[in-house]
Amino acid sequence: MVNKVPPKKHKKLRQSKREQLLAWTFILPALAVFLVFMFWPLAYTFYLSFFKWNMVAPTKTFVGIKNYISLLKEKVTLQLFLNTLLYILILVIFNFVIPYILAFINTFMMKKKAKSIYKVFIFMPSLISLVVGAIVLQWIFNPISGPVAAVLSKFGITIPSWSKTQGLVIVVISLVATYKAFGYNFLVLLAGVGSVSTELIEAARLDKTPYRKIFTQIVRPITSSSAIYILIMSIVQGMQYVFTPIKVLTQGGPDNASSNIIYGGYKEAFTFYDTGRSSALSIITMIIFLVMLFLEFKYVEKGVYYEN
Amino acid sequence: MKTKEFKWHILFIVIILIALYPIIYAVSTSFKSLNESFNNILSLIPEEPTTSAYQRVLSIIPFFKITLNTFIIASIVTLFKLITGVLAAYSFVFLDFKGKKWLYFVLISTIFIPFTVTMIPNFITISRLGLKDNIIGVAIPQLADATGIFLLRQHMRGVPKSLLEVAKLEKTPHVTILRTIVVPIIRPAILSMGIIFFINSWNEFVWPSLILKSTENYTLSLALQMFVSAEGGTDIPVAMAISVLTMLLPLVIYAFCQKFIINTFAQSGIKG
Repeated sequence: MVNKVPPKKHKKLRQSKREQLLAWTFILPALAVFLVFMFWPLAYTFYLSFFKWNMVAPTKTFVGIKNYISLLKEKVTLQLFLNTLLYILILVIFNFVIPYILAFINTFMMKKKAKSIYKVFIFMPSLISLVVGAIVLQWIFNPISGPVAAVLSKFGITIPSWSKTQGLVIVVISLVATYKAFGYNFLVLLAGVGSVSTELIEAARLDKTPYRKIFTQIVRPITSSSAIYILIMSIVQGMQYVFTPIKVLTQGGPDNASSNIIYGGYKEAFTFYDTGRSSALSIITMIIFLVMLFLEFKYVEKGVYYEN
Repeated sequence: MKTKEFKWHILFIVIILIALYPIIYAVSTSFKSLNESFNNILSLIPEEPTTSAYQRVLSIIPFFKITLNTFIIASIVTLFKLITGVLAAYSFVFLDFKGKKWLYFVLISTIFIPFTVTMIPNFITISRLGLKDNIIGVAIPQLADATGIFLLRQHMRGVPKSLLEVAKLEKTPHVTILRTIVVPIIRPAILSMGIIFFINSWNEFVWPSLILKSTENYTLSLALQMFVSAEGGTDIPVAMAISVLTMLLPLVIYAFCQKFIINTFAQSGIKG
């Protein structure tokens, strides 16, 4: 007996070593891609944010935190942040609040079988390229020859040229992002809301609890993990979704009215060739996103990942 | 009770009409003549249907080359994302190694990193590799995918433990377990992930726009951009024709694999 223990242990140890090796071999292909195109770039962008460079010059000049200071001093940066806030506000309402409420209505306030067909069609636009969405919506909202203008002109209303109007330009560009994200967000929230037990809702209904209360006091707490995921995606992914229509339709104009911190970072790099300022702005953006990520893991991780 | 529900059905039908209108508008306008596109804006059925816009697309851009480019990039990206994803997910689910939880956390966190953070270094890397204006340069940074690893891991966790216990007792090597047990069981998930990777890559715009410079190397989304300005340029039918051609494949795939795609997408949120 005593003799047999060490070899067994030894074998087990060897086995676990082999398993470790195998595990890393399996992960290596994915990890290699992430190292070269995600983690190294992350570090390099951070490094670049302390230098003045134009991507082609042989030397980079160290400028310390000058890039950050010059960015934070400028009025344009303030405008980028305010625009970003407006984008976030619109995206949160259209891509999160509305789909959330609709998911609730679809799950608990409708009984007919037809309701499951709806999601099939609502999801459809999520498969369409953002460039297609941008180009088609741009024509639909065209102030002269678009259908919206054509309908409104019958009532004697003329619509302003949205791409030249402060504020309105952000609304229309957000709609392109909404067109892309709405169906997906609805679907995810629908799955989340669908996981709430029907008996719970039935019981509340028997107690004559109004639907508004059922939503805020029963469904919202239970579905908070899906909700926080979609809320964060509406912001983080939404900011990147609006990039395409900005790039394709307005290039941030008129006079930066439609630009945001993501597009600003892009423009610094590929229009002005100022990698330092671009990187600094990207790092600031990432820090803002990381704060949201922290919230995500604080709330979502706790309740969900570790449940099984 | 009935009438109460009725109004919600109306609401959903209105939302669906809003969702579908841009698609129908694009298809309808693409078959209008340039003249009709300005004079007969609201009618969804062209008075004199014509394919002239499609003919113009073919004469302005090397359409087949561009479609082929888009297809090749999407295929490479899909294939590699699946291979790297399945292997990594297997390791995260069925194998033990030091730092597993930590590594998983770090990989998944990258979903939230805005692309501007990696844009400049990746642009420099691809340029130094001599892959600028090359479709391979578009594909290379995208050969692995955090969301993919995440979703595949979720599906692999659903593989019955008893099957694996038996395989382990028989000392089946992990490569064989992966090939003969895990992959066949999660095949539907792998397929639908593949469809989603393919469609996403097909639609991609930002990264290809940095790398591809000459028209013959363009992807569909980039070619589309040639027909745009803030107020839309002047040729609506041609812009709609190429829009239709770009969304055609994703929508056809969706028509055939609708259930599949919906299930995978719906699951992506619950746990993550």
